[in-house]
Amino acid sequence: MCVCVCPRAGLPSPVRPICDPRVLDRFIMEARDTETALRGCKAGCGVTGTFVVPLTNVDFVVWETKDTEEQALEVQSGMSLFGQALGAVRESVSRVAVQILIDNNKSNIHSLGQVLRSLHIQDLPLPPAPAVGDLVTRKVSSLSELLHVHTNFLRGKVRLLLTNAPACQQNST
Amino acid sequence: MTNDNLNKLLVFCVLFCAQKTSIVHGAQALETKVALLLHAEPENPKCFAEGMSDLTCFWEEDEERTGSADQYSFIYTYQNENSSECSITALPAAGGKRLYFCRLSQTQLFVPLDIRVFRDDLLIHNRSLFIELVFLLDPPANLTLTSTGTQGQLKASWLPPSLKYMGDSMMYEVSYAMAGSHIGKVEEVQASSELILRGLQSGTKYKVRIRVKLDGISYSGYWSAWTDPVLMETMPGDLDPLIVSLSLIISLVLTLLSLLVLMSHRRFLLKKIWPIIPTPESKFQVFIYIFCEWLGHSTGGLWLRPAYFYSEEFPAPLEVLSEVSLGPALPSSALPPKASEALGEEDEDEKLKRVDSALEGWRETPQEHWPMDQLRAIHQHPAPWTQSSLLESHDAYVTLNAQNHSGEELLDDILEETLPLQVLFASGRTSSESRSDLGSFQQSSGLGRLSSQSSFEYPNHTWPPKGPGYTYMAVADSGVSMDYSPMSSSKIDDIGKGVIYTNEYKNEIPAHRRPIGTPIPFAF
Repeated sequence: MCVCVCPRAGLPSPVRPICDPRVLDRFIMEARDTETALRGCKAGCGVTGTFVVPLTNVDFVVWETKDTEEQALEVQSGMSLFGQALGAVRESVSRVAVQILIDNNKSNIHSLGQVLRSLHIQDLPLPPAPAVGDLVTRKVSSLSELLHVHTNFLRGKVRLLLTNAPACQQNST
Repeated sequence: MTNDNLNKLLVFCVLFCAQKTSIVHGAQALETKVALLLHAEPENPKCFAEGMSDLTCFWEEDEERTGSADQYSFIYTYQNENSSECSITALPAAGGKRLYFCRLSQTQLFVPLDIRVFRDDLLIHNRSLFIELVFLLDPPANLTLTSTGTQGQLKASWLPPSLKYMGDSMMYEVSYAMAGSHIGKVEEVQASSELILRGLQSGTKYKVRIRVKLDGISYSGYWSAWTDPVLMETMPGDLDPLIVSLSLIISLVLTLLSLLVLMSHRRFLLKKIWPIIPTPESKFQVFIYIFCEWLGHSTGGLWLRPAYFYSEEFPAPLEVLSEVSLGPALPSSALPPKASEALGEEDEDEKLKRVDSALEGWRETPQEHWPMDQLRAIHQHPAPWTQSSLLESHDAYVTLNAQNHSGEELLDDILEETLPLQVLFASGRTSSESRSDLGSFQQSSGLGRLSSQSSFEYPNHTWPPKGPGYTYMAVADSGVSMDYSPMSSSKIDDIGKGVIYTNEYKNEIPAHRRPIGTPIPFAF
């Protein structure tokens, strides 16, 4: 599956919503594969520093009390944080195999953005960078933990948002 | 009690019963899941999620280590959060063991959960898990089998567990087998609530059951328990019209061929299946009569001589003597059979009594002329009976006497059927065998008197000579065939006067039995 990523802003969203759960499932599986491949990387594959990542925990009772925009904002801000972190990791790794895996995950994050746009979930102005200790973020200090959180974020909040997107609900009914 | 109070009481009862039923059902479901996890999960505590916001953890303690629930503490901690404690419940288990339960009613998914279990401040269990990865769902409900209208197919449909957000993450395992068989097939289907089973046998009852599990991408867990099996019979198979028509044509062709074969071999088959059984009664009456007469005279000596029954080598010649009638010539139709009888004058009175009037109607048979020279030689020098090699100690001789119907009675009127079969022979045979030998015997009509005598009456070869009035014939019965030989008449010179007929015999007394130079006497 290939999703066309248009870097220019202002482009109209795709006409047909992408509601197939298998699309996100593929992103999740590739993120999991990357996590598994780099788990045994010595010395963290040469990646140093800390990364700010979103929280991944989902309380369904609480989640269902949020509306779609709030959920979308939470998902988009989280995806932005992961994009920044993976970019920093790409700069610090030297091994080609690791670079390929990181590039693939960055591409998937961009594609996921397109999927959200297809569901009429417009890009919302991101809040300012969350501070350390924020209830919605936390810090990680290793590549394996970063990838692990990335996988959990995709499996949880992103999937919940896409599964219950109004555009997809209209298509199923 | 007012109606309102009654209504309230009724509603309360219904709710209580429903809740009780639900509780009972829930208890049974819990018991099933506990059993599943005890088998499937090696770590402790064993935890499973049934819905979107619950988690049940338990562990098992042996009888000797069991204690009250207060001795244990269950501490759980979500990532980046503070620890919390869960209240513990103890339940009895099989074998004297006890199960300790902790149930959380509010959970967080997609985040690691650390669990620690203490017994008297001693850490006994420690585990970290993701709740969205330990789902243990209830089995699908309302499993239904329907026919698709196509042979060899059944459609299975069910209701998926009612879990929000997870419908597209469920996978199902459908197990189907022929009713009564333990060997079946399993098919998997994802994110669907129906499945068409193909390749089934027609007209066969199948047993189908199903279980559910999350697909493992976003959510995962354990296979649920199997549903109760549902049975249904597939559509009966239709006969292919082409096969039916070909079978009919082939059957018809084979039937026609069989009939043709049967018709072409009809006679052969009839002969084999229903062979014609000859009835010699009409042909051997004279011999039966003679034999009866002989039996009447023999005083049972025959039965005391086993040789007569078991001897098979030497034929027992039977001499049939008859008195030649010196009366008017017998009509041509009145002829003796092949085993000829001689009519004797001398014993005519005695033998008249023994002769059955049924000797009438004998057919005429061709005559055989006897070498006159030999006959005259015998007549001139008759060998005593006792010296004849034909006469042996075990031989049976019978003389026949018939009534002398000297032309007054129409011997032609004597029917063959009325003539009893006379004599039978001798040694080592049954009467039935002899009768078969007499099948060639032809009766002749118009005989004069026949007398019968048996040589058993004269055991010491003291067969009295019959005198010149006798023409006689030797009959040798070997038990297989009858050898008839005409014997001489004492009145050879009277041959021209009386009508003496000779028959051509099929069998002859073997040469070794015949004394050298002894002419074979003829029969009349």
